[in-house]
Amino acid sequence: MSQGPFGALRGQLLDAAGAFAEAPDAVAGILTGMVDDVDRALSEELEIFPVCHHSPASALAMARRLREKQPKVVYLELCEDLQPLLGELRNCRLPVALQAFATELDGFPKDWGPLSVIAPITEASAEYQVIAYALDSPDVELVLVDRSADHVFQWLPREKESAEGDAADTTDAAEPGEEAALHGDAVGVEIGDLRPRFAELEEHLLHHGKVRHWSEWWDQYVEQPLVGADYDTYRQVMVLIGSLFRRLAPDADARTARDEDRERYMWTRMREHLATSAADPSQCLYVCGAAHAASRVEQFGLASAAPFDISPRTASRWLYGLIPSSHSAIEAQFGLAAGSVSIAAATWTKAVTAGQAAPYQLEGQKGATKRKGRVRPQAPAPPEAVTDRLSGFLSSPPALDALEEAELLGWSVDIVRLARRNGYLASTADAIAVFETSILLAGLRNRGRPTPYDFQDAAVTCIEKDVVPGRRDVRRLCEILLGGDRIGEVGYEALPPLARDVYDRLAPLGLDLEKRTIQRALIDLDAHPELVPCSHLLWMLRYLLPDDAVRPIMGRRQLGERSIQESWDLAIGRHQRSIIELGYEGVTVEQVLEQRLRRSVWAPQATAAVALGAVEDAILFLGSRRFADELGARAVELLAAERTVDDAPEVLRRIRRLLAHYRSTEPTLPAWCEAFVTAGYAHYCTLLPTAFVDEAVGVRQVAAMLGFLFSMESFALALGCDRAQLELAVRQSHPEAPAKVALSWAAGSQLGLLTPAELRSRCDELLANPLVVPAFPQYMSGFVQALEPVPVLAPFLVELMSKAFGRLPDSVLLPWLPLLITTLRDQAKELVPVLVREAGRTFPGSLPALDAWVPPWVARAVPKAGPAPAISGPVADLLAGHPAACDAVAELLGCAGGWQQAVTVAGGHPEVGELLARHPRSADAVATLLSHGVAGPG
Amino acid sequence: MSDEMLRAPAEVKYAEELDWLESVDDGPKPFSWRLSPRMVRLFVLGSERADGLDREISQKWFGDRSFVERSIVTLASDRGLLLIGDPGTGKSWLAELLAAAISRNSTLVVQGTAGTTEDHIKYSWNVSMVIAKGQSRESMIPSPIMTAMEEGVIGRFEELTRSTSDVQDALISILSEKYVSVPELDDDGIVFAQPGFSIIATANSRDRGVNDLSSALKRRFNFIRIPMVTNKRSEEEIVRFRTVELLRRHQIELDVPPTLLDILLQSFADLRAAAAAATSDDERLESALSTAEQIGVLEDAILHSHFFGDRTLRAGTLAGSLVGSLVRRSPEDLAILNKYWHGVVEPRSKKDGGEWQDFLEGGRQAIATLS
Repeated sequence: MSQGPFGALRGQLLDAAGAFAEAPDAVAGILTGMVDDVDRALSEELEIFPVCHHSPASALAMARRLREKQPKVVYLELCEDLQPLLGELRNCRLPVALQAFATELDGFPKDWGPLSVIAPITEASAEYQVIAYALDSPDVELVLVDRSADHVFQWLPREKESAEGDAADTTDAAEPGEEAALHGDAVGVEIGDLRPRFAELEEHLLHHGKVRHWSEWWDQYVEQPLVGADYDTYRQVMVLIGSLFRRLAPDADARTARDEDRERYMWTRMREHLATSAADPSQCLYVCGAAHAASRVEQFGLASAAPFDISPRTASRWLYGLIPSSHSAIEAQFGLAAGSVSIAAATWTKAVTAGQAAPYQLEGQKGATKRKGRVRPQAPAPPEAVTDRLSGFLSSPPALDALEEAELLGWSVDIVRLARRNGYLASTADAIAVFETSILLAGLRNRGRPTPYDFQDAAVTCIEKDVVPGRRDVRRLCEILLGGDRIGEVGYEALPPLARDVYDRLAPLGLDLEKRTIQRALIDLDAHPELVPCSHLLWMLRYLLPDDAVRPIMGRRQLGERSIQESWDLAIGRHQRSIIELGYEGVTVEQVLEQRLRRSVWAPQATAAVALGAVEDAILFLGSRRFADELGARAVELLAAERTVDDAPEVLRRIRRLLAHYRSTEPTLPAWCEAFVTAGYAHYCTLLPTAFVDEAVGVRQVAAMLGFLFSMESFALALGCDRAQLELAVRQSHPEAPAKVALSWAAGSQLGLLTPAELRSRCDELLANPLVVPAFPQYMSGFVQALEPVPVLAPFLVELMSKAFGRLPDSVLLPWLPLLITTLRDQAKELVPVLVREAGRTFPGSLPALDAWVPPWVARAVPKAGPAPAISGPVADLLAGHPAACDAVAELLGCAGGWQQAVTVAGGHPEVGELLARHPRSADAVATLLSHGVAGPG
Repeated sequence: MSDEMLRAPAEVKYAEELDWLESVDDGPKPFSWRLSPRMVRLFVLGSERADGLDREISQKWFGDRSFVERSIVTLASDRGLLLIGDPGTGKSWLAELLAAAISRNSTLVVQGTAGTTEDHIKYSWNVSMVIAKGQSRESMIPSPIMTAMEEGVIGRFEELTRSTSDVQDALISILSEKYVSVPELDDDGIVFAQPGFSIIATANSRDRGVNDLSSALKRRFNFIRIPMVTNKRSEEEIVRFRTVELLRRHQIELDVPPTLLDILLQSFADLRAAAAAATSDDERLESALSTAEQIGVLEDAILHSHFFGDRTLRAGTLAGSLVGSLVRRSPEDLAILNKYWHGVVEPRSKKDGGEWQDFLEGGRQAIATLS
């Protein structure tokens, strides 16, 4: 145990441990160890700068230290492969996240993909200070030393954890908003993760600290006192906390093991760098999380020579880029309390305004206010010996600031104004009450001055009543007031080529696409043909991006349709991440689309319908005949390999549309279409008998199969298919379900296997049989489905239904009417209009006409009483020559009609007879021809 | 004195603790407060080792620390405090504790009902005395609120929203002007509030809409919404705390086994989940299933086993009490419990065995008796 400057403190802590702890040995061990850790970290040759994420105190201390020390080399705890991205930060509005992204995996479980690692960077962070300092100062080298994105996943246990930085969120989680989802499902890494490693310790700290959540604890116990602290105090306190959390972490924790590996990695990398660059360690600075500063791995320190084998990266192809981030996204990703990052940012701004440090800022940083280096002149401090600042920090309360009262007053007035605007009945009296309550609360909570959390509580107490009048409650309004959510944006220059291409190509629309509001684009394609490519691109983006990123309000893109005008709602600024991630897949939108379509048809679960859909999309969006043909060929393969007919309706719909498109636009059909029709004809013929009996196959599917077979028949026959195959298939089908029976009858009638009269009589039998009547709606629905393959059946169907309504007794009819309607609506929605139209044609249109109306089928059944057909020939001549026999028979039977004059000309049209008699030659010629034909070669 | 009362008010019950706290309290005290705000918080939420006190102060109210802090701060400010929440969430208990700690008097209570009149809030007259001596301060009967004003202590108004709006509005001038004028008296006609006076009101959120507060009155109150306790651990603490108290009050020596407490908490948690998932009121038990209700069930079971049983608490008795307390509407509530018993308790008793078995049997019998 060394007797460093911490000897006195060590003694104090040990005494305290002896007084309180039940097992003094354990506690004493931890306390001694903590002080040792601090000692070791601070006496290390390479200066270690411990940081905590989203801590303004860290950032301030960093800015001050950098100005003072001006190090030549800075080592930063950040994935080493993200280094090339850092320069692009200046083109972005912070916060943004550095992202590493991999879709082509190697050595990782397939279901992990796509892999994505993000490291958010905010302006109020120590790492941004480092980056800004290093990139804009000549001769300064910034070295990222943490493991690469590939290692992040290599070191994850194979049962993937939800996230690297996750921890039990003890706060009341707000509903995840749109901004909170900015990071997607990426694994987050952050610099300086400093938080208790297990829930009990955190709970203990919160309980004894009398605060609600971790961010508040940190803010009250570390952040606020440290804001004005000097560098040595800062370092000691940070390492102390880091050490405590490390020492209290469970031993067998996988995360601890991973962290130790990271420390080994970082120290190994730093030693390597120092060896190759020959930099002077005293001119270097190592920036890492406070927990890593208190590391106890044997590789710790430049003096150590302990080896560590860094495993090679896998062959996964990693792509890098920046994506927009937001305070709420960071809070959601790392389990911080809502609003805590915003409050940290507010604290940082306040400290900077108060002139506590001159922060660094990247040259040309987008979206930042230019700060003048307005800092109190400070003489460069001579290097101090490490002295004990910790005892003072632990015993003295933070100093009060005169500015703070004015700030609190401002907040109190503003929150009342904001609340009033949001429907609350708040007045100046409330502002006074909020101000007073904040101070009282801070006093009660033993805080020197009200923190934003006290202010928030006070505002809720004084303004919130029994109901929330508007969309936001007072707590949320306070968050908005204290800085609100800040959403980053990636600048044009930092975008991947695809995203830049998208912005370029949409430029003719004349909209500011970087705005986060929804933009309305109006495109008149006739008046402005130059906008056609824009429209084209928008349709592609519509296909590729999430639903609400690009939304057509007017205009459609379908085969055979062309919009004259289009109007779009564009939320491209809000979905920047999606576009950037598209950029990882390819260089242009077209390429990405082609890849996606190709992937969809080669996916293991692809079906013919999917492939036909892809063909359609390829025609619509890419217009490439070659590519469409390739996808079509795949569709034929898929169809032939299919064993179910679930997709038959979809296939039928799509192939019909495609055939219509090709017929109208191209001189010949593509070869794959012909192949598809012949394959489909054979395929569906084969499957038809089983589909008819299989209970799992619905009527719609069978109807669609028949539809395919009948409507493609002529085309298929022309391509060499055989109709006998279809006839046999229908004959082999013996369905039992009523709907399918009806369908098979309809198919039979279409094929001529069943005459209309037979069909009619079968249906009449059904209606006459009281045992079958309950199933009649099922038959009806089968017939309605049959309209798809056999459209000529429509009049018959109207007849059938009218008969049913007419003949069935009310006791049967009334109960099944609702059933009929629901059955029709469920199973044949799109065919009912056909039926209704046919009924409209059949039935009279007005009420008076109805009285005189005779249904056509009844009219057909009673033939008009007209002259008997003329009978001539030898039999008639014989009977006429010897009428006695006939008379006798007639008398016997009671027929009193007597002999009638035979009409010479059939049909009772004398003028026809006259005409033929006047010009006999044509009739003679026909007779000659006929007699010749009959007696001829046959 | 507390031994002679059925239920002693908090300031009597914890008199010794309060005296001690007052003796060690060196913090600044607002107005005429008997304890400083920090000590009030300590009294309500209990002490910890870190507070550095010589004796332990037990926790008396269980819930979020910030509710207590906000309540104390409100009382130190200009406004009244309105505790709002579901029945059985401990609003009145918190009000009583605060009044006891701050002014050592939690009994200046007006109970809000449909029959509450303005006289109950301000003052009324002793009619015979008025006839004998005329209207004077002696013949006036001050309300508890007026007494609180005169003494500079905390007055309480229970179930504020049960009384009608015009009666509620009598509080407006009391809360803003801090005096009550008595026009019947010629001189000395104004009763001023002394420093330290404030009002703690409670309101039931289920009564919302019956007699809504006017916005003028709303402005004069700070609202603190007390949520239902759903954290199992705190709920266990509350039930245990209250049970010990009950046993002491009834002078019963009976042991509540932890397994039975678990069963009780679990079954309430199940029933709450079922109520949350239900789509209509018929599928929901009429009871609010609050923590207070649990304590009621447990108390019932304890008394039952003490007087009619073999002086040990059994799962069967607990089940009987639970059914008995929760069935309020004959077919609906019974059907829900029947479903719960056969759908949840039965499988659980098969799986876990132990006390659940007994619980199952007891519940079945109770349901059968009521059916």
